[in-house]
Amino acid sequence: MTWQAVARKDFRDAVRSKWLWALSFLFVGIFSLPTILLFYLEMGTAPPQGETGTSDAFIYLMKQGTSVLVPLIAIVVAYASITQERESGSLKLLLSLPHSREDVVFGKVLGRAGVLTLPIVIGFVVAGVLILLTSLEFQPANFALFALLTVLLGLVFVGLSVGISAAASTGRRAMVAVTGIFIWFVVLWNSFANQTVNALNKYVGLSTQGEIQTTLFLKLLNPTQAYKTLIDAFLMDSALQSRIFMFSFFRRQGAAQALGDSLPVFLSDPFVVAYLLAWLFVPVAVGYRIFDSADL
Amino acid sequence: MTAIEIDGMTKRFGDVTAVRELSLEVEEGEVFGFLGPNGAGKSTTINVLLDFVRPTEGEVRVLGHDAHDESVAVRERIGVLPEGFSVYDRLTGRQHLEFAIESKAASDDPDALLERVGLSGDGDRKAGGYSKGMAQRLVLGMALVGDPDLLILDEPSTGLDPNGARQMRDIVREEAARGATVFFSSHILGQVEAVCDRVGIMRNGELVAEDSIEGLREATSADTVLRVTVGEVPEGALAAVRGIEGVGEVTHSGDSLRVSCDSDAKTTVLSTLEERGVDVRDFETEEASLEDLFMAYTTDGREVEA
Repeated sequence: MTWQAVARKDFRDAVRSKWLWALSFLFVGIFSLPTILLFYLEMGTAPPQGETGTSDAFIYLMKQGTSVLVPLIAIVVAYASITQERESGSLKLLLSLPHSREDVVFGKVLGRAGVLTLPIVIGFVVAGVLILLTSLEFQPANFALFALLTVLLGLVFVGLSVGISAAASTGRRAMVAVTGIFIWFVVLWNSFANQTVNALNKYVGLSTQGEIQTTLFLKLLNPTQAYKTLIDAFLMDSALQSRIFMFSFFRRQGAAQALGDSLPVFLSDPFVVAYLLAWLFVPVAVGYRIFDSADL
Repeated sequence: MTAIEIDGMTKRFGDVTAVRELSLEVEEGEVFGFLGPNGAGKSTTINVLLDFVRPTEGEVRVLGHDAHDESVAVRERIGVLPEGFSVYDRLTGRQHLEFAIESKAASDDPDALLERVGLSGDGDRKAGGYSKGMAQRLVLGMALVGDPDLLILDEPSTGLDPNGARQMRDIVREEAARGATVFFSSHILGQVEAVCDRVGIMRNGELVAEDSIEGLREATSADTVLRVTVGEVPEGALAAVRGIEGVGEVTHSGDSLRVSCDSDAKTTVLSTLEERGVDVRDFETEEASLEDLFMAYTTDGREVEA
């Protein structure tokens, strides 16, 4: 097993790329902008008594952005990880050395995960320091959980992208595939979920409860929605509340009634984490199998 | 032990058969030259040895290991200069070597390797700024890491100047002297002639000849070419020359006559021409180069059993 060597080489290579530094600046900028703004507005004025917010407010504000931006950047960082080496011919150099194709795929996942995680962590550290300078009350546990989930979301999309990169024979195909998947997750997923449920309703017939649960289940299969509802769950301190919040405002009451007092196990937090992790492991496994049997 | 054993290997890409029923053995310690024009199937064969592509049929073993199932074990003990590679632009030459050393769990000194391949002083530059020849040297250096038992070099002198090509040959000789087996492909014959113990010639995906260089020379009908500048050639003169024992091909165009023959038949050829009333104005002899053999094997379709 030499995937560590591959990962180290890949990371070393990427660290020298201007991309990584541009990404770090981007994350630092995005994470610190709201707090800098608040800090600026508060300058010279005493914080209003009794109305101080917490750093949770920062998380509410940020999670919409991170749920789109982190996957997008993970895709950009990883989709060409293998196709680029394949097209340039450096893959021949890599595979002339005693690395198995498994080592190459895992090494790439790890190397690119490092490339993405480093700027995310830097962004969070800077934002954390800035929050301490404002009147916001710092909630370290929630802030750390938010950071952890954001890193996990990044890992999921790195895995997905490396898997696609391993399976694709050219960079162009990999790009088409990741772009399609990104748009599907971010734009089309809810209508896909609703239409699937409508179709099921039409041909099988679902109870109101079944309808709500199926819709929710389909929504949770989307890694960006899984990420957001997991964050909401610890911010609201209730998984049930966070799931209800996944519906649009007008459907929430109905959803709350249909779900009752407790969530079925397949809609609970541990399962949501499992669905999220599946997007990390399944594409890597499938991509590896295709890559392993390919003529290079 | 046999370093490379290829038994009935066929590789098809869709409808195209790149290599057809190739059987080839390279003994340990040999320097084997794998010759043929571009597209003859040399690189496909090498790619099968390296498990970059998988054979459609047949069995391939390298250093006693199955080339596909035990590819990592194979690659732990070989050094490779692949064809059509590219280096990592953002890593320095030294980092490339360090990566190879780490990957092979070897203990080579990167500086010694850089010097050996003629890159001392360039090790801390990014490889993206290297010329084609420098990249070729760097990857040769990576191939030498860990004193491999077998070196597989695919068109090693691509991009090298004559001096670089000579250094490449010296390194091949040094490695062979150390006891390593060397398998390299080329379409440039001078290099092969200078360093190889044995050669195999590929044409259209098939091995058309496999022999020592001396053996190949003997196997062809002639090893000397006599070029004669002549005046009028009377009827029957050419037939008389062709009838001489030891004479192969005779071609006549304008005032030039080209006769392939055994060395000791040369004087007979010249005297026969004069007897037949041919005005011999000038003549020169040349020993058949590998180029001639190569042309003979790759265009005439003559086959020689090794």
